[in-house]
Amino acid sequence: MIPVLKKYSNVFAVQFKNNFVREAVYRSNFLTMLCVDLVWIGVEFSLFTVIYANTNSLAGWSKEQVFFFLGVFFASDALFTTFFQKNFWNFSDLINKGELDILLTKPISPVFLALTRWMSLTSIFNLFLGIGITIRYSHAAGFAGGIRWAMLPFWLLVGLATALMLRFAFSVWVFWTDRSWALSRLYYQFFHFATKPDAIFPVMIRYTIMTALPFAFIGSVPTRALLYGLHFQEYLLVVVVLLVFFFANSFVWRRGLARYQSASS
Amino acid sequence: MSSASASPRGVRKFFHYEWRLAALKNGFQDATAYRIEFLLEVLGAALIPAAIQWVLWYALFKIGGQTTVGGLTYEQMLAYTFTSILFTQVRGGDHDFELMEMVRSGGLSNYLLRPASVVEFVYIRGLAPKLFLAGLSLLIGVLVSFFVDSISAGRMVAAVFLAVLGNIIHYQIGAVIATLSFYWEEAYAVLMVKNMVVQILSGELIPLNLFPASMEWIWKSTPFYLYVYGPTQYALGRWSHVEFMNAVGVAMIWILGLSILTHWSWRLSIKRYLSLGG
Amino acid sequence: MSKTPAMAPVISVNKVRRSFRSAQKGEGLKGTFELLLKPKFTDHHALKETTFTIEPGSFVGLIGANGAGKTTLLKILAGLIPPSSGEAKVLGFTPFDRTMEFRHAISLVMGQKAQLWWDLPATDAFDLLKAIYEIPEDKYRERLETLSELLDVKRLLQTQIRRLSLGERMKMELIGALLHWPKVIFLDEPTIGLDVLAAEKLRDFLKTFNQKEKATIILTSHNMDDIERLCSRVMILKSGEMIFDGSPNRLVREGECRLRIRLKETFDIPTLSQITGIAEANITAVSENDDAEEDEDEKEESADSTAGGAEGPATIPTFYFETTKEAVLKILQALMGKGTVLDMGIEEQSLESVIQRIYADGVVSDKGEADVRV
Repeated sequence: MIPVLKKYSNVFAVQFKNNFVREAVYRSNFLTMLCVDLVWIGVEFSLFTVIYANTNSLAGWSKEQVFFFLGVFFASDALFTTFFQKNFWNFSDLINKGELDILLTKPISPVFLALTRWMSLTSIFNLFLGIGITIRYSHAAGFAGGIRWAMLPFWLLVGLATALMLRFAFSVWVFWTDRSWALSRLYYQFFHFATKPDAIFPVMIRYTIMTALPFAFIGSVPTRALLYGLHFQEYLLVVVVLLVFFFANSFVWRRGLARYQSASS
Repeated sequence: MSSASASPRGVRKFFHYEWRLAALKNGFQDATAYRIEFLLEVLGAALIPAAIQWVLWYALFKIGGQTTVGGLTYEQMLAYTFTSILFTQVRGGDHDFELMEMVRSGGLSNYLLRPASVVEFVYIRGLAPKLFLAGLSLLIGVLVSFFVDSISAGRMVAAVFLAVLGNIIHYQIGAVIATLSFYWEEAYAVLMVKNMVVQILSGELIPLNLFPASMEWIWKSTPFYLYVYGPTQYALGRWSHVEFMNAVGVAMIWILGLSILTHWSWRLSIKRYLSLGG
Repeated sequence: MSKTPAMAPVISVNKVRRSFRSAQKGEGLKGTFELLLKPKFTDHHALKETTFTIEPGSFVGLIGANGAGKTTLLKILAGLIPPSSGEAKVLGFTPFDRTMEFRHAISLVMGQKAQLWWDLPATDAFDLLKAIYEIPEDKYRERLETLSELLDVKRLLQTQIRRLSLGERMKMELIGALLHWPKVIFLDEPTIGLDVLAAEKLRDFLKTFNQKEKATIILTSHNMDDIERLCSRVMILKSGEMIFDGSPNRLVREGECRLRIRLKETFDIPTLSQITGIAEANITAVSENDDAEEDEDEKEESADSTAGGAEGPATIPTFYFETTKEAVLKILQALMGKGTVLDMGIEEQSLESVIQRIYADGVVSDKGEADVRV
């Protein structure tokens, strides 16, 4: 177990280093992406600013609490963007252009190799921005602070894992259809749900789109957990849903791989 | 295309409606070649933003117990949301990205003999599925108007017309921005920013009357409200005919101004492109 | 092939077959639904029943046209796809199990699929491979030194891949593929797109590596020079069938050539064989009206109607004699005694031409002689 972990962390470290070098060479788009992300954050903030100009509370959430939520959400999303997002853009090439072949001959998980290849390390700035926003509104949102801050990294990682599972679940179908972008777009459509705190959702949606497709685990659930704490069974639910997704994804991946191997010559 | 423009007859043909018709057909086939994906995309693009809006109103009215928000009742809010879906489908797509990609990848060179028409060619191609959707929206809108008293068929037709004008404006702005890529590798970011701003200022996420009075100038100073908010307001009878004609006038002014800007920016950029050796 | 005693084959392929099914999609929406509900499958036989073994340290060339089954065979051996039936063993492993040990012991290079990072120097990509294969630092240094020396790219290791020429890039790919010192190396079209000089250098390297490290190398190529210069054994695939397996020398023998001749008189093959003393199997006739199918019938027919059949000059066949350079003169003398030579020529037997001929019209018998149909 330990040697395997060591190998994987070594590979990850090299991928990290290589991406760092690559991005250092192409520094130019750093500012550009930063601006785009700032505008995106700005748009989400304006939306809620406008809504809160008409009301004081949205499903029991104050404006500051929603901003606190947005901070957690952006930070968590930044982790995904930094380490994984770009790999999913190349996911269909992997299968449709046969790039997977070479990966399959390497003594390491091909999925791991494929998903750690491209990083966008400059997006890490958004993580700091997100955390900054979280801190800025933490007091006004009624966050108790102190030792509870220790839970923030944990919840950011839950958000990251969730985004990874979901994005994968929407991408893995590329084994069966060469037009996987339609599903990718659907992912981003659903993703919009994640940008709103789940408290505002009617119960039905909350348990379908937000939990079964656990978009709520990016941002919403972490925020509620930080502000109010969760019941034990809710923690359990988070773990179970993520595990189920993990195994479902592995299953579909293996089926896809079998199809890939039976269809190619 | 380039071979057609080489002969005099080809040139005539190029300026004729025939190529436009061909581009339209081509664009439509391209967009709908995979019907199920096309359908999924339209449904996704239509239903999910609407679902999110509905959720917001639900939270405000049903959970929050408000009776009116920004002067609108829950029912009025929902009417806005579901009517706006129709116009959101008509509003401009991502074909300005295609135009920009042409510049970046050098694919533009194939069209260089008639630079002004490249812009139009890409537009018409992108317009094709939108026209189809506009027709569909109109059909649905008119059908609904028979059952819902507050919506009239005549207003529906006019509203779709305004939405189509909005589609033109959206693309024109994109085309002007696309010329930035002659000078700057990362100009696509500007298009992305534009699209994000459009999302909130077009009224597809929230009715613009929710903006507090002090912030109204923000959406009024862009043409984006003509895409979705304007048509929806008129279709629902919340705008008078005068307000509507006013909006059409504003749209016309934008189109005229942007036509000049598009023409001018492309002429200038292409000149530079050629002088640098393509 | 000197028989080294007690050396187990590194690769054994026993009655391996590979076919795959593909669903046919009908037109339009209806077709899509049909695809989902009751798909119609067609079977393709990418590789027909094949059996062979490969000794350690061999350098084997796989040739065949596109779709002949070369890549399929390679993929089966590299463990990317399972055989539909039969058994393949590589280094004692069943490739498709893809055990870690197996993956450590092989390497696959696909000429058209680069695995290096475009924007980074080769060393950064090698760092990754070092981590993946868990190569110890000292061994890594040593191997990189050796390989870059051999391939003459030492000074390019720090250059961005995108700035390298195609040949240099391929060399880097090869280094990357060899850093873990595989025992079996599969090379799919390694010289594709390379200029003559670059291809030559790559070949020199492969030859040296094969000889020095005793690694088994299986190579597919369209380039006959690759095969001629490198491979001690060649396998020819045609439409999924192995039509030749043996030394390339058996395809082209030293001093062997082809005598092309047209005579005014019409002779049949048995007669010509009698006159010249060349075996019937080594004489072929090519008529102007190339009805390749009627080969057998024509032979019998012409045997009945003997010489002087009422055939116009347009159908005077050209005869090819498979022979040696020394024998050419003898044959000519014999023929000129019996008839008038209209046209003649001697054709070199390059591997390329032999294979082209095999491909164009025939199968190779196990004797290594072309049984060329008319």
